[in-house]
Amino acid sequence: MLVLGIDTSCDDTSASVVENGIKTLSNIISSQIEIHKKYGGIVPELASRRHIEMIWPVVDEALTNAGIKLEDLSGIAVCHGPGLIGSLLVGCSFAKAICYCRGIPLVAVNHLEGHIFSSFLEDPGPSFPFLALIVSGGHTCLYMIAGFGKYRELGRTRDDAAGEAYDKVSKLLGLGYPGGPVIDKLAQKGNPKAIDFPRAYLPESLDFSFSGIKTAVLNFLKSKKESRVKGQQSTKQSLVSSHSSLVEPCDQCPVTGDKSYFSLSDIAASFQAAIVDVLVRKTEWAIKKEHIKRVVLSGGVAANSELRKMMKEMAEERGVEIFIPAISLCTDNAAMIAAAGYQHLVSGNIAGLDLNPRAYMPL
Amino acid sequence: MVSSEIQRKYISKGPEETKDIGYRLGRLLNPGDIVGLYGELGAGKTTMVKGIARALGLDERDVVSASFTIITEYDTSPPFLHIDLYRVKSDEELDEIGLWDYLKTGNIAVIEWAEKAEKEITEELIKVKIKPVDENVREITLEGKYEKDRDNL
Repeated sequence: MLVLGIDTSCDDTSASVVENGIKTLSNIISSQIEIHKKYGGIVPELASRRHIEMIWPVVDEALTNAGIKLEDLSGIAVCHGPGLIGSLLVGCSFAKAICYCRGIPLVAVNHLEGHIFSSFLEDPGPSFPFLALIVSGGHTCLYMIAGFGKYRELGRTRDDAAGEAYDKVSKLLGLGYPGGPVIDKLAQKGNPKAIDFPRAYLPESLDFSFSGIKTAVLNFLKSKKESRVKGQQSTKQSLVSSHSSLVEPCDQCPVTGDKSYFSLSDIAASFQAAIVDVLVRKTEWAIKKEHIKRVVLSGGVAANSELRKMMKEMAEERGVEIFIPAISLCTDNAAMIAAAGYQHLVSGNIAGLDLNPRAYMPL
Repeated sequence: MVSSEIQRKYISKGPEETKDIGYRLGRLLNPGDIVGLYGELGAGKTTMVKGIARALGLDERDVVSASFTIITEYDTSPPFLHIDLYRVKSDEELDEIGLWDYLKTGNIAVIEWAEKAEKEITEELIKVKIKPVDENVREITLEGKYEKDRDNL
């Protein structure tokens, strides 16, 4: 059974053909990062215009690469939320139009459900039940997945998503957008214990909170600036010139030998350690609470090398099976939409042509 | 505006009190009102939005940062818009995000980083300024539209 998946929930236009919900025949992603870079993030209006330009060529390429035609499809799965409303609208309208004129069944997939089912595109995939942690620029949530359609939310972010914290801190450090890859790379060279940034564990629940850490990084940068001004140290580096631009890295003040001067890579490593610690610990709590033996990690932040490593270590210690899809399946893609769409299709859960996207749509 | 000389000042001792002030302000909002939130990163703007949203019938847990989406629209009556201009750099971008279409109708809107749009907004804003005093304490000042009604929030 062949399903075409379409995802336009955010800044990537993606189309994919998946066979039987597990085998990816094609997965085309047209990234808009270059367009949005100068804005320090995604600009919704620009994103939707770009989706309109890209949707046909991307779908065309997905079909060609899979070696199939529209009439070979058993269904078209489209992501209808959550996401940027203008962007979602492009994918939904496109899918509805094709389904209508070719008589192909339409299925609607929640973006978060897509992330969960991305794990089925790997061999071996998980079996039910499992715990799913989805971490991205827009989401940070933990679910118990008992089967297709049987999802129970255990926790989610109360303020910023983990990926958003990366983007905001990256901006504070003058490193640009997107923040994830650049901080991850810098962190490799830094000392994760250099600065003890706060971890908001919220011990009473499995919810997350990542807004405090960006404030902590900001306060840290400000305090360095003040101490430098007060102390009048004549060092070559200017640690913080304004909120938005830091920096020449320096591990140690060349004049005073003062080790309170941290390098950019130390800040990156310490910040990353704080984020990863919270994500891993809370997943561990959820494992204990739910007595679960399998964990799926997905979403854009699941591309982070440290998170992947620490999750695997934790899973090993706890004797839990961990499923982390390849990076191309963790970040937004349409193969995951097709994989979840297949499940809808075999369950007979067909969407009407009056399908409307929604920006806010809990799973 | 001469009558705006007196500002309404509140001291919040922590996030819960900030939310509470937001809640009490939220109850007084009418369709078409635009609240501008001012304050540096980490001041507690989103925290205040949670309180305002609760007054409009939303679960504050559903209200999260809007920096990523810039505009989050909630299906309340009247519709509630949570706008966050943190990532916006120029007036041109305000056009590009479609801000003016959203502000035209009878929505209730809250705009974080309102300083980036205040020159362009023709309607009178309800201005809420949040200033960190220390790690938890915030000085919250209300100015602008219907100011006199807000003496005893």
